[in-house]
Amino acid sequence: MKNNIIILGGGQAGIYAAREIRQNDSKSNIKILGEENLLPYERPPLSKDFLLDKKKAEDLYFHSSDVLKNENIEFENISINKVDFENKKLFANNDNVYSYDSLLISTGSENKKLTLDNNLKNDIYYLRNLEEAKKIKEIVSNKNKITIIGGGFIGLEIASSLSQLQKKVIVIEIGNQLMGRVIPKQIADLVQNTHIEHGNEIILNKQIEKITKKNDDYEILLNDNSLIETDFIIAGIGSTPTVKLFENTNLKLDNGIVTNQFCETSIKDVYAAGDVSNFYHPFYERNMRLESYQHAQNHGICAGKNIAGVKTEYTSIPWMWSDQFNLNLQLTGICDEYDEIIERGNDINNGVIYFFLKNNKIRGACGVGVIGKVGRDIRITSKLTEKDTIVDKQILSDQNLKLNKLIQK
Amino acid sequence: MSEENWIEVGSTDSIEEEDLIRFDHQDKTFCVYKLTDGFYATDGICTHEAVHLEDGLVMDDEIECPMHQGIFNIKSGEALSPPACEDLKTYPVKVDNDKIFIKID
Repeated sequence: MKNNIIILGGGQAGIYAAREIRQNDSKSNIKILGEENLLPYERPPLSKDFLLDKKKAEDLYFHSSDVLKNENIEFENISINKVDFENKKLFANNDNVYSYDSLLISTGSENKKLTLDNNLKNDIYYLRNLEEAKKIKEIVSNKNKITIIGGGFIGLEIASSLSQLQKKVIVIEIGNQLMGRVIPKQIADLVQNTHIEHGNEIILNKQIEKITKKNDDYEILLNDNSLIETDFIIAGIGSTPTVKLFENTNLKLDNGIVTNQFCETSIKDVYAAGDVSNFYHPFYERNMRLESYQHAQNHGICAGKNIAGVKTEYTSIPWMWSDQFNLNLQLTGICDEYDEIIERGNDINNGVIYFFLKNNKIRGACGVGVIGKVGRDIRITSKLTEKDTIVDKQILSDQNLKLNKLIQK
Repeated sequence: MSEENWIEVGSTDSIEEEDLIRFDHQDKTFCVYKLTDGFYATDGICTHEAVHLEDGLVMDDEIECPMHQGIFNIKSGEALSPPACEDLKTYPVKVDNDKIFIKID
């Protein structure tokens, strides 16, 4: 049967869903509607290799226009401003109307913004898309003392890149550790030390009271009355799912679009995937919303299968990474449900991993080390988690013993 | 095929099964693998970002990059999973008197 399938959102989840649908369904029309006038591209390099000029914009596309053409996947740059789920129609800002039989919502997430005086709104920069990365790259070339508000992944990756561009960098974080939302303090402290060793200033436990513009520079007043002078400000203070379009509809929302393990929403024939989806994870038996490369890809693929009629549960164990200076940090699973923590290694040069166990099984792990030193063990950990293996803690804690001994074939 | 292009890597017992060793020759780096059906060799650096595959995970016929989990087929070099999309170069391997040789072009 030939259907009209619309994918709303031209990011990673959208393109992987589109290609997966085509793998399973040669007939249906597949159309991606994207708000950026760009084919889907990789975002992780924006804060790293793109700022460092090691990768150009054209290196970032997931697939060329030829791939989409060969697979008969349409991409249209358009902004949708109204959805009618009852009649299965989307309305665009240019009066175009799109009818669908199946709809995938992959609108992603958007940056939270600082609450500031109106006259400063254009002075604070954020980084999510290629356009913003280009602006930051251009402007920082003439700046020397840069302040980053927010000590999460994006802020710290930018801090690492700007330090490598010989800039003086100050990071202000409201919490008592870096990357506090998902990373254990022990690991965050190791990363913090590396930033300090490279000359970055890290300020924890401080709130911003006021930002004042002084000619081309700024003064940032903190809640302990200290004053920071800076000539450029970038904020990375978290993100929220992009759901404004659905707020007055029947679509069930709760920290994103609520979906089951098959990427199905509360409305028939409407699916959601990637950052925007608060999905049920059958392994962890709870709902969660993830913002990561691996999740956007795999969740998009899973949605694609389900849209094409291949009923598939989403069971991927979460995994993400961050690269800062010469460090590669990786996180697998969930690190907030545990009754025991086991440490493997104590030297960042050889890699340090913390395992989070419940009932002698790994629920999650977080590691950091010089590039290449934690990836293999974290990958094995994902497999052990997925297989619900009861683990030998002696092997976990001894870096001289290989973790692959724990995998039962 | 000239004989001098075969470079000795080491003895066959220097690699555990389903594992790899790194081998550097002149200014290049390679990975040499022992799989259940024999020895194989590829370039030693991931095609996605310049990271050594020696710390990667070998599972069945696949090597997975330790940095971003790009996966390659060891025998064909084919990039199997994003973010890797460019194939990994592979090299012929032979075993002679319990020594492993790879042919570098």
